[in-house]
Amino acid sequence: MSRKVLTELGVAAEFKPKRRGRVLLLLCLPLAPLFIASIVLGGYAIHPWDALMALAGGGGAEESLIVQSIRLPRTLAAMLGGASLGVAGAILQALFRNPLADPYILGVSAGSSLFLAISIFTGATLGLWTPTSPYSLYTAAFIGALTVVIVMVALSGVVRTTTTILIAGIMFSYLAYAITSILQIFADIERLRAFTYWIMGSFSGARWSILSPGLPLLLVFLFATIFLCKPLNALLLGEDYARSMGMNLNRARMFIVAAAALPVSIVTTIAGSVGFIGLSAPYLARQLTRTSNHFTIIPASALLGSTLAAAADLLSRLAFKPIEIPITAVTALFGAPLVIYLLLKGRGVQV
Amino acid sequence: MIETVNLSAGYGGRPVVAGVNISVRGGEFVAVIGPNAAGKTTLLKTLARLMKPLGGVVYVDGAAAARMSAREIARLVGAVLTEQLRPTQLTVFEAVSLGRYPYTNSLHTLTDRDRREVWRALADAGIEHLADRRLSELSDGQRQKVMIARALAQEPKVLILDEPVTYLDPKARVEILLTIKRVAREREIAVIASLHEVELALRMADRLLIVSGGRVVLYDSPEEFVALGGPMHLYGLDGQLTFSPELMSVEFRPGAEDKPRLFVVAGGGSGALVYRMLARLGYQFSTGVLHKGDIDYCVAALLGGVIIAEQAFQPISPENVHRALEEARDCAAAIYTSPPIGPLNSENQILAETIALQGIPLIVLGPAEVKGAAIRVESLAELSKSIEMVLENVRAVEPAPARR
Repeated sequence: MSRKVLTELGVAAEFKPKRRGRVLLLLCLPLAPLFIASIVLGGYAIHPWDALMALAGGGGAEESLIVQSIRLPRTLAAMLGGASLGVAGAILQALFRNPLADPYILGVSAGSSLFLAISIFTGATLGLWTPTSPYSLYTAAFIGALTVVIVMVALSGVVRTTTTILIAGIMFSYLAYAITSILQIFADIERLRAFTYWIMGSFSGARWSILSPGLPLLLVFLFATIFLCKPLNALLLGEDYARSMGMNLNRARMFIVAAAALPVSIVTTIAGSVGFIGLSAPYLARQLTRTSNHFTIIPASALLGSTLAAAADLLSRLAFKPIEIPITAVTALFGAPLVIYLLLKGRGVQV
Repeated sequence: MIETVNLSAGYGGRPVVAGVNISVRGGEFVAVIGPNAAGKTTLLKTLARLMKPLGGVVYVDGAAAARMSAREIARLVGAVLTEQLRPTQLTVFEAVSLGRYPYTNSLHTLTDRDRREVWRALADAGIEHLADRRLSELSDGQRQKVMIARALAQEPKVLILDEPVTYLDPKARVEILLTIKRVAREREIAVIASLHEVELALRMADRLLIVSGGRVVLYDSPEEFVALGGPMHLYGLDGQLTFSPELMSVEFRPGAEDKPRLFVVAGGGSGALVYRMLARLGYQFSTGVLHKGDIDYCVAALLGGVIIAEQAFQPISPENVHRALEEARDCAAAIYTSPPIGPLNSENQILAETIALQGIPLIVLGPAEVKGAAIRVESLAELSKSIEMVLENVRAVEPAPARR
């Protein structure tokens, strides 16, 4: 083969960024209509024009109230939360080198819920805030999520089979729910009512009061993950190879573990356990972009996670209007079959 | 380029290999060999700084490796490991450009220089044409070349390879080792590679590092290794394996079965394949009269045959013919391999005829005319059949003579 052809091949191999930009742009497209639909549709339908006026700060008092204090926070929570869950899933899948890793399946969401329950029912908040302050909730959820991720990482060093880790995660979820149920039985009515909010798993309760510390953090997280792509790519070749190329394994692992735990804990605090978005978004991202390069997979997972969460949230409030169903009931409809499919496909699945 | 002083490698505080003192120059190829579980991988990982040494010092490019950051080491030492790759959709170009990890910024932006190095590495490994392919579409040999190119993209001064060609087909094995050798010389990289096959190591390596029983048994050239008795002291060869210094090859000697002994009159290379076939079929054999240093002599010795030998370039003496005849009398049958006959070995034709005269069934392989021959065959396949046939007949008449 001539030198020229080779160089052209080289150019082709390096062309990826352009194709990548196009795919990512394409994935942005559904976000705008979903955003509008999410603002407009619901128990009380609002005319798009009125919604626009309300967003701009004008319009009727009723519309303005619904849009500004219910629909808008809910939509933003679903979209940013979904994006973060998608990214968390992609990170966990790279860390465990397992396409079935997902914050919900691995029990990270359950860990967050458990610590939320402990914090609310026992009032243990390190003495910093009141038990129902958003800060104590976020802290508790983060500690819970972090604990589970660390336990799972340690466990994955011992058992190397893909499915064993998943079973361990699912069992951990059961354990967490069991403890949570016991705590509920002994809880007083006031605290119980505060907690039922998280059991459901829905973005319906997202209010500015609880979102205000969480959403900016999610936004920062989403942009910061771009710095994780390089070590995540190196880890595709395995830990020893990554280290031989100069990756500081312990430091990278620390960041990756924190980056997986943080968004899950925030989303769990806002909406309770939201399942399968962290599983489906990276899977779809890899299918659509045909790459394992995290510089593509991470943003694509964010966009797809956002789309999936917003769509699922919309469905959860429209399917049996005016009754809302938990969001995981919607996401499980496509998530659970996907898990089964991936399990059947076995080892050939790519990360 | 890389030097160790009293290095001791192991894990959990327990040394696996201790007292390693080596010094490898740029362009030099050192093969690490030794029995399984002798600690080759542990040693290599310690040299690549993937494991901390239990004791001693590793100097890379004149500086103590312990004082360097992971990034600094990665710019000097590249590694190809036995780690199994999970299926990914990474392209070859992406995988090789990961080798630029210690040079790029935290967004892994490839500069012109990075790109140039990636292409140079791809070219050196001979896989430019695969740049666009995905790792999961490649053969094992191609994937190994990708991992080597990736290590080369690190612009290393030292290349550590753990069993780089195990599980590959013979063609890919040789191709990859030759590639490594060539690139190492061109780029003046010090190469340390563990190899499973001693013969491959003997033929490829500038120096051998033999690890056995927790220490370095030998660190010298293949020639010195052979002079010291070859791999005998490596694996404690127990008669099942033999080593031929002339052929630099290790031979498997099949266990002797309860089959009769055969006498082979050969020479000049006409017997080598016959010996191998007999050994494989489980026959014991005696052979003669061979000249020392003849390829037939080497192969027969390797396979443990009884050899009646004459000094090289000397005419066969009557004493040796006599000894050969004595030996043949103890055999159930004889084979004449039609060796080229000249002034120095014309006695072998007479020997064959005398054997036939003595009533020992003689099979002639090839074109030679021998008086009194029982059967003539044209090929080795026919030979194996006719041996069975002849032995059947012998057994029908009298039991095979017991051997000493």
